[in-house]
Amino acid sequence: MRKTLLALAFALPLFAQERVTLIRNATILTVTNGVIENGSVLIRGAKIAAVGRDVSAPANARVIDATGKFVMPGIIDTHSHAGVEGSVNEVSLPNTGMVRIQDALTNDDISAYRQLAGGTTAALILHGSANAIGGQSQIVKWKWGRPVSEWIVPDAPRTIKFALGENPKSANFRPPEGQQRQYPATRMGVEEVIRKSFTDARDYMAAWDEYEAKRKRNETAIPPRRDLLMETMADILRGKIDIHAHSYRSDEIVMLLNLADEMGFKVRELQHVLEGYKVAREIAKHGAGAGTFIDWWGYKAEAYDATPYNVALMLRNGVLTSVNSDSDELARHLNHDAAKAIKYGGVSEEDALRVCTINAAKQLRLDHRIGSIEAGKDADLVIWTGHPLSTYSRVETTFIEGEIYFDRQQDLARREANRKEKEERLKKEADDAAKTKKERKP
Amino acid sequence: MKLRRLVAFAFLLSSVTLYADAPGVYALTGATVHPVSGPAVANGVVVIRNGLIEAAGPSAAIPPDATVIDLAGMHVYPGLIDAQTSLGFAAAPARRGFGGGGGGGAAARAQTERPAEPTPDFLAVRNANISDDDAEARRAIGVTTVVTAPASGIFNGQSAIVNLGSGPIESRVIKSPAALQISFNPRSTWTYPDSLMGVVSYIRQTFFDAQQHVAATEIYGRSPAGLERPRESAALDALRPVLRRDLPVVFVADSETMMRRAMAIAKEMNLRYVLSGARGGYELASELKNIPVLVSVKWPTAPGDKEEREEQPLRVIRDRQLQPTTPSVLQKNGISFALVSGPGKAGDFLPGIRKAIENGLSAEDALRATTIAPARIFGIDRQLGSLERGKIANVIVSDKPLFDKDAKVKRVFVDGREIRLPADDRAARDEAAAGAASPIDGTWALTVRTPEGNVAIQVTLRVEDGKLSGTFSGDRGAGDIRGGSFDGTAVDFTISAQNNEAEASDWVFRGTVSGDTMNGNVATTLGSFEFSGSRSK
Repeated sequence: MRKTLLALAFALPLFAQERVTLIRNATILTVTNGVIENGSVLIRGAKIAAVGRDVSAPANARVIDATGKFVMPGIIDTHSHAGVEGSVNEVSLPNTGMVRIQDALTNDDISAYRQLAGGTTAALILHGSANAIGGQSQIVKWKWGRPVSEWIVPDAPRTIKFALGENPKSANFRPPEGQQRQYPATRMGVEEVIRKSFTDARDYMAAWDEYEAKRKRNETAIPPRRDLLMETMADILRGKIDIHAHSYRSDEIVMLLNLADEMGFKVRELQHVLEGYKVAREIAKHGAGAGTFIDWWGYKAEAYDATPYNVALMLRNGVLTSVNSDSDELARHLNHDAAKAIKYGGVSEEDALRVCTINAAKQLRLDHRIGSIEAGKDADLVIWTGHPLSTYSRVETTFIEGEIYFDRQQDLARREANRKEKEERLKKEADDAAKTKKERKP
Repeated sequence: MKLRRLVAFAFLLSSVTLYADAPGVYALTGATVHPVSGPAVANGVVVIRNGLIEAAGPSAAIPPDATVIDLAGMHVYPGLIDAQTSLGFAAAPARRGFGGGGGGGAAARAQTERPAEPTPDFLAVRNANISDDDAEARRAIGVTTVVTAPASGIFNGQSAIVNLGSGPIESRVIKSPAALQISFNPRSTWTYPDSLMGVVSYIRQTFFDAQQHVAATEIYGRSPAGLERPRESAALDALRPVLRRDLPVVFVADSETMMRRAMAIAKEMNLRYVLSGARGGYELASELKNIPVLVSVKWPTAPGDKEEREEQPLRVIRDRQLQPTTPSVLQKNGISFALVSGPGKAGDFLPGIRKAIENGLSAEDALRATTIAPARIFGIDRQLGSLERGKIANVIVSDKPLFDKDAKVKRVFVDGREIRLPADDRAARDEAAAGAASPIDGTWALTVRTPEGNVAIQVTLRVEDGKLSGTFSGDRGAGDIRGGSFDGTAVDFTISAQNNEAEASDWVFRGTVSGDTMNGNVATTLGSFEFSGSRSK
C-alpha cells in the first residue's frame, strides 16, 4: 500500500504534465485550411495545440524535424473488417442487428499495424454483408499494442451495417447440409426484411410506451421483454444509430432511400455504391454519404456497371464521397486510391485528400475530432517522405492522439532484436523438445 | 436402455477392483505429511476413520483399532481437486432444448429453436456418466475430486463437484450445483448464434430474458388479475440464483480478449463469477483483483513441422511461451487461482503443473492451487483441500514429492476408502497418446473442380484436443481455416475464399480422408463443387 502511494506521488507530476511534441519545417496538408509550406504542428497530449508557420514550443518539447517531408491527417477507412475475432458474419438470421462488432474485437490482428504503416489511423469495422440487416459496427483507432477497449473511440456514434443485393440474397442460396433454405433469396425479400424489421420495431416501441403509461397511472403491469434486436431497430428510428449500407445497383440504392423516407430513418453512408454515379443527385438529396472503391469492378454481376469516374461524378453532384478499403491490403494505401480520383475525372488535389480524410470523418460524424489538421482536433497525424498522393512516398511516422504507433526508423531498428528473440525462442523450444524425447526413451 | 444396462454391468465389474465396501480406520505412518494447512511434517501420522480425517500431524496418536500402513520414505497429500473438467460427458451431448423467454422477433424464435446442447437448467450431476477408466486415470495422478460440466454449447449447464471414489454418483457428490458454466462456443452455421459476436449477444439476451422472467412472475404472483400469464421456463428459472449472486458463473475464457469479454458481461449483469481457461491471464493479472481464476495447464505446443514453426510470427511464439508463466504472475499479483486440466487429458495434468513450476511457480503454491485454492473458490474448503481433522479423507500417497518429474502416486484414499490403482501406468500411456499425431495432420494439396477451371488450394491441418485447426493458401488467398472437425474419417472445415472480389466468401469443405487422399464437396455461394487431393510429402 505504502509502495503504491509512493509510486503515485512520483507519477502525479508526470501525469499532470502532458507530453508536448513539435513537428517542424514540414509541408502541412491541413485538408480543411489549405497547404502550409515550412509549417509546424504542435501536439499537446492527445490534441493538436497549434498549426502554422510560426508556432513556438516550450523548451521541453520533443522536436521532430520534418524538413522536406509532408504531414497529413491520419487516413480514415470507413469499410474495414480487420480486428475481428471469429466470423465477421452472423449468418443465421436475415436481421442480426443485436450482434455487435465491439464484442468480437481483437488486438491480435497484425493488419492494424500494417495499416498504421500506410498512414491509416481510424476505421469503421463493419459486420459482413450476409444479411439484409447485419450487426452493429464499431469505430476504432488502430492503437496497436493497446487493449481493444482503448481502440474503441468512446464518443463515436453507434453504427450498423445494412446490405442490399447479391450478398444478402445469395448467402441464402445454398444451405449447409440438412438445413432449410433461408429467407430472403431475392432483392424483393431484402427490402421486405428491412421494412418488416422497422414495422416490428414500431410495435416494440408501442408496447414499451403502453407499459410506461400504465406505470404512470400506477396500474400493475408486466414489463415487456427487452429484445436486443428490437432495441437496435428502435434506436435507428430514434436517430441513435447510423446506417452504413452495402449497395451496388442504382435501383436498390433508390429503393433504400425511398424506404428510409417511408419508415422515417436516415442512411448515413452508402458503402461500395458502384452505381452511385447514376443516382448521385438522389443520394445527395437524401444527405447520404458514399464510400466507394476507385477502380474495382466486374467482380460480380452487380459490379459490371462500375466506373473509376464514380468518385468524380458523385463529388461533382454534391455527394459526400470517400474511398474505403473492405480489404486489409488496400487499407494500407488508401492514399493511392485517393490519388486515382485525380486521374479519373480530374478531381482536385484538395478533394482527393478529402476523400480519404475529412469526408470519411464526416460520414462517421467524427469530423469534430479527426479528418484534418486543426487546433483542438485529435493529434492523429502522418509524416510522409513526400506528397502522400505520390506512389513514391511512404510513411515515416504515424501518430494517434499524440502517441507514436508506427515509426519506420524504430521499426527497422527493432527488426534485428526481434529476429534474435525469435531465433532464441525457437531454439529453446527445439531444445526442450529434444530433452523430452530423450527422457521418454529409457 | 441397453446402454444403461451395460453401464450398470460395467459398474458391477468395476467394484470388484475396490478393496473394501465400508470405510475403515487407517493410520498412515512414517511418511512426510503435506497437510497444506501448514508446513510439511517429516514422519507424520494421518488417521482416517469412517471416511473422515480424525487426526493429522507430527504426534497424532495411533488408535488401537486402526490398520497401520507404514509409508516410510513416502509423501502424503490431500487428494488433488481438478476444478475444470468435462468428465462424464461426451464431446457433444444431445440434450433438451432451451425454453427461452417470451416475446417475438427473430432472435426470440432463434432462442427457442431447440439446439442439441445443454441449457442453464441442465444439471451435470444428473447426467454425468464418469467411466471407470476416466476415474482411474485421474486417481492415478492424484486427483480425487473433480468439478465437471459438459464442454459443449454456450450455457453448459450447472456443474457438479464429485469425488472419484466408489459407489453411485449420489454418494460422491460434494456440491451440486457448483456453478453455472458458460462457454463462448458458436453453433453450427445458420443456427443462431453462429459467430463469436452472436454468442455474446445471445448470452446477454438470455440474462435480460431471465431478469424479465423474474420480474414478470413476481408481478403476476402478486396480482394476476388482468395480466397476461408469464410463460413457464425451466431454463430461465435456473438463472434466478445466478442473478441473485447465490450461484457463481464459471466463464470458460482462455485468451486475454476472451477473458475481457467475460468480464464485461459479468459486470453488465452484476454476476459473481470465475474465469476458467485463462491461459492468457499473464497479460491482465493486475485487473483480476477479486476474480478467482482457474488456469488450464494444457499449455500450447509448438507445431511439429519446423518450417511451419519458423513461419510463425514472433508474437505467436512469444505468447505460446509466456502462457505457462500465468500461474506465477497471478501468484505475484495476489490473485486467487487454481490449476486445472480444462480441455486436457489426465496425462497432461502433472506435466502441465510442472511446466508452471518451471516458469516460476513454487511447488508449494502449485500444491495450494490444486487443493485448498479450488476448494475455497467453490466454497468447499470446510470439507476438502487440506489434511485437517474433520475433513473428508481424500488422501494420496506418492513415492517422491508429488510434482517431481518421476513421482508416482502409490496409494489413493477417497472418502476414507482405499482404491486400488491400476497396475499399468495409464497416465503415462495417456500422456504418450496426447502427443500422437492424428491421421489428418499434415499438408494437403487439394484441387477444386469448378466450371471455370481447377482451383488449387493447399491446406495444412492439425488435430489438437479433438479440434481441427490449420491454415490454407493458394488460388483463393490464404488464412486460417475455421469450424474444423475430423472424426477419423469425415473432415469438415471452412475457408474464407478470396477471389479478386471485394469480399471473401466462405467455402465449406466436406470430405473424407483415406490414407493420404482426401475427397468430397465444397459448398460455395456459387454452387457445390467436387474436390480431391493428397497429402504432400
